[in-house]
Amino acid sequence: MKRKLVLLFTLFAFASLLAAADLKLDVKEHVLSNGMKILMIPRPGVPRVVCHIYFKVGSINEREGITGIAHIHEHMMFKGTHVVGVSDFAKDTEIDKKIDAVMDKIYHEKFWKADGGDKAKIAGWQKEFEELTKAEKAYIVKDELDNLYANNGGTGVNASTGGENTGYYVTMPSNKVELQMFVESDRLMNAYFREFYSEKDVIMEERRLSENRPGFFFSEQVNAAFYSASGYHWDTIGWMDDIQKITKADLIEFHNKYYVPNNAVAIYVGDFDPQALAAMAEKYFGRIPRGPDIEPLRTAEPPQYGEKRLYGESSAPTSLSMMFHTPQAGQPDAAPLQVLASILGGGGGGMRGGLGPDGGEIGQRGGGFGGGAGTGRLNKILVQEKQLAVNVSASSRAQWFVGAFQFGATPRLDKNVQPEDLEKEIWVEIDKVKKDGVTPDEIQKAKNRFEAQFIRSLSSSTGLAGSVGRAELHRGWRSLITDLDDLKKVTNDDIKRVAAKYFVKDNSLTAINRRGSGR
Amino acid sequence: MKKTIILVLVLGFLFAGIGFGQVQKPSELKYPPLTYNPPDPAAYRMTFANGLRGYIQEDHSLPLFNISAHINFGGLYLPKDKQGLDALMSGTMIQGGTKTKEGPAIQERLDFLGGSLSFNVAERTATLSLSVLSKDLDEGLGMFFDVLMNPEFREGPLNLVRVRVLQQLRQANDQPGTVLSREYEKLLYGDHPLTWQPTKATYDAITSADLKAVHATYFFPRNIILSAAGDFAKADLKAKIDKYVGAWKNKDLAFPSIPKAFPSPEPGVYFIQMPINQGYINIGHLGPEDTNPDYFAVQVMNFILGGGSFSSRITSKVRSNEGLSYNQGSRFAYRWGFPGQFSGYVQTKSSTVGYAISLIVDEFNRIRKDPVTDAELVTAINYYLESFANAFESPQGTMSSFANLEMTGKKMDYYKTYRDKIKAVTKAKVQEVANKYIHPDKAVIMIVGDWDPSNKGGDKWPGPLDKLGKLHKITLKDPLTGEIAK
Repeated sequence: MKRKLVLLFTLFAFASLLAAADLKLDVKEHVLSNGMKILMIPRPGVPRVVCHIYFKVGSINEREGITGIAHIHEHMMFKGTHVVGVSDFAKDTEIDKKIDAVMDKIYHEKFWKADGGDKAKIAGWQKEFEELTKAEKAYIVKDELDNLYANNGGTGVNASTGGENTGYYVTMPSNKVELQMFVESDRLMNAYFREFYSEKDVIMEERRLSENRPGFFFSEQVNAAFYSASGYHWDTIGWMDDIQKITKADLIEFHNKYYVPNNAVAIYVGDFDPQALAAMAEKYFGRIPRGPDIEPLRTAEPPQYGEKRLYGESSAPTSLSMMFHTPQAGQPDAAPLQVLASILGGGGGGMRGGLGPDGGEIGQRGGGFGGGAGTGRLNKILVQEKQLAVNVSASSRAQWFVGAFQFGATPRLDKNVQPEDLEKEIWVEIDKVKKDGVTPDEIQKAKNRFEAQFIRSLSSSTGLAGSVGRAELHRGWRSLITDLDDLKKVTNDDIKRVAAKYFVKDNSLTAINRRGSGR
Repeated sequence: MKKTIILVLVLGFLFAGIGFGQVQKPSELKYPPLTYNPPDPAAYRMTFANGLRGYIQEDHSLPLFNISAHINFGGLYLPKDKQGLDALMSGTMIQGGTKTKEGPAIQERLDFLGGSLSFNVAERTATLSLSVLSKDLDEGLGMFFDVLMNPEFREGPLNLVRVRVLQQLRQANDQPGTVLSREYEKLLYGDHPLTWQPTKATYDAITSADLKAVHATYFFPRNIILSAAGDFAKADLKAKIDKYVGAWKNKDLAFPSIPKAFPSPEPGVYFIQMPINQGYINIGHLGPEDTNPDYFAVQVMNFILGGGSFSSRITSKVRSNEGLSYNQGSRFAYRWGFPGQFSGYVQTKSSTVGYAISLIVDEFNRIRKDPVTDAELVTAINYYLESFANAFESPQGTMSSFANLEMTGKKMDYYKTYRDKIKAVTKAKVQEVANKYIHPDKAVIMIVGDWDPSNKGGDKWPGPLDKLGKLHKITLKDPLTGEIAK
């Protein structure tokens, strides 16, 4: 569904070039004078072009009080501009400003006063708000942006916000890419945030959908406990209080700071002529003035000096989660950790990887590579041989500014196995790796899997656009290739070293959820 | 004729960036023409030994090989006391090994090659899919046909899969969305093979011999269609496949006869209690089959009503105007050989459950009563016409689509004639099919949510919910026993 939150993406799809280096990833680059990058991967064939734009901003750029704003902003980018979504901009603005003024009064009364304010006053303003909203409808061209794309064969019209970046997507017929350039450059320059207050209601409903997923609240707490200080502390959807209280002024400040061409990458994959496309990009995106440089993130995740444990009760199945802080992407230890995750958790044709027990995503912001079942070492030992777990997973996620290695397992309650028993078993396996490492066959298998997965990733235009576009924002798209080279070099000694370094209790959070009365 | 050509050239230059002007509004944009002809299934169809059919495309862009076997078998064909056999078969077809190999050894080898093999049983089609690097084509193909032809469903792996499916069964009432779609189907289709559910007892009773018997009944060359795409030569691939299936005997198969009579549930509100902060809602009744000649008009009509995301009325009203929900719309869901389902759907906070329902029902009535606007019709038709090529982005996906067309007995010119049929839909036809296939007076309104706040309602729509129709409260069954929970 549209405008969803996306859980953090790993660059795993590409973390696997290896022997595939002869399969060239041919990305054409064009940099505009305002700093915006245009990346192009021409693929002749079906006359469609995947068009994505990525901005280097996500929920990690937020702070308390405005958590969730990156995502709210992404929703608001569909509400039109000075020319799209409006029939008479001057008249619409006049009413819209009045709406903001009356809502400011309501917010001050409701949220600034400890007792929730004067109910009668609020009701009066609320009535005023409703009348103004009704009047504004005369000038709003409902969801025009979506209609423009639909009318011209745009599919997959969507956007997503993650911790680190935000993307806007559409796939166009080859002859109509110009519409995407118009629409996207227009909303970057001239976004106008009408219908802000009803859209916040939509987003609260979106948060409620997550809340009604068994185990969500516990998972949110686990995440907040694991990341104590950095912007990874809160989920991308944000805290409900903040969603409620964020103002239009907050939103405009956020937009002006982060939505500048020098903080954006556009990527095109499909059937097009790169020269013509670059010329078109000059015309549309080139007209936008460069914005001020953006200060890098201030608050890093401080080291953890003691073991953390969290116990919860929810309607999710009883499960265990063990998390360890690891280095961010691009650091030397990231590759051996990735190989180790594949060896311990990976494998099993068609099994989805990365999620916690039963897809519960305990304490995890999503994504990640690893795997549930199949031929991974933990699955063989704990599920198949000892038959203590229903399933078990291991995953390693090196994100832009933090990393996490996570184990997840669901115990065989029918055999009276408890999460704590599985915790002990996993530590036994961790200690084996620390002492003896893994086998040459296991390392080779992991490398082969990365290679094949890389080749497969080249066959999906949408996947390619996502990986290349996002990588460009942080360490450059070529990091996809250097990361793969790093994976290729991983040895058993590397694996023993990283296991000893990161798999220590003081660096860990262990979370145990029991199915019970909590929500 | 000449004029057209000149125009095309001019637009071509414009597109190439030579002097195209800055437009102020998107409506001023002019696009060069684009023609696209969909691939013709006949060009890819092949027959192999023993009447095995396939849709095969060479695609040398990457060193990959993908192949799927689409088998005319599904959970629908299972008797009541074997419910759950489909899930157990999905889990053990590969993991249970073959006559000559243990399942874990097959998995291990495929993983080592960076390949994948997966198997899934759906309602009326089962699919075995292999993906390997083309250098491993021979070895992969060998494993693929070994699993397809000789599965053993060994007890050990079967018991492990049983543990996993029982774990899932325990959670069957946990997710409001899952509960809603299951109970909605049960209400619309009644006690019928389409809605039968497994219990712990049926899972426990299914044996390796049962799985083998089902395999022996349904898995033979004439009951299977292949789809494949990748870096190979067609003739070579054919020779290799023929070698595997040359000795595979066909069977006589009489498919179980499944009744096509369904109850007419009493219209009204069906409420399922769950302590959550939203109501998960479906509103509707049975719908047409996708072989119905009205299918295309129904697609267009539903795009306008609630299928076309932000271009649709329900999304516009319920989400964009009122901020009542994140996810809402209407859908016609289809199933092979049986009536589909029509439903309006929304998830909204408890206090606006009644209000959101009332808005959706209003839209059902409006699209029946008044013709849609020209602009709505144009957008819906354009969307289907202009995005048509999307369906053929992936060669393997295209081959699978062709295999499915043939499997389900649809016309093979479906794609060739698709755009003409969409183009032919008129405003009158949209209104006609709205009246024919949407019946608010016969609709059931199913809600999974928290009773008290949902029934109380809010300012814009105060309860009680029985204002919407006669109230029925549904008590969920314990998924393990299939009995009402005590």
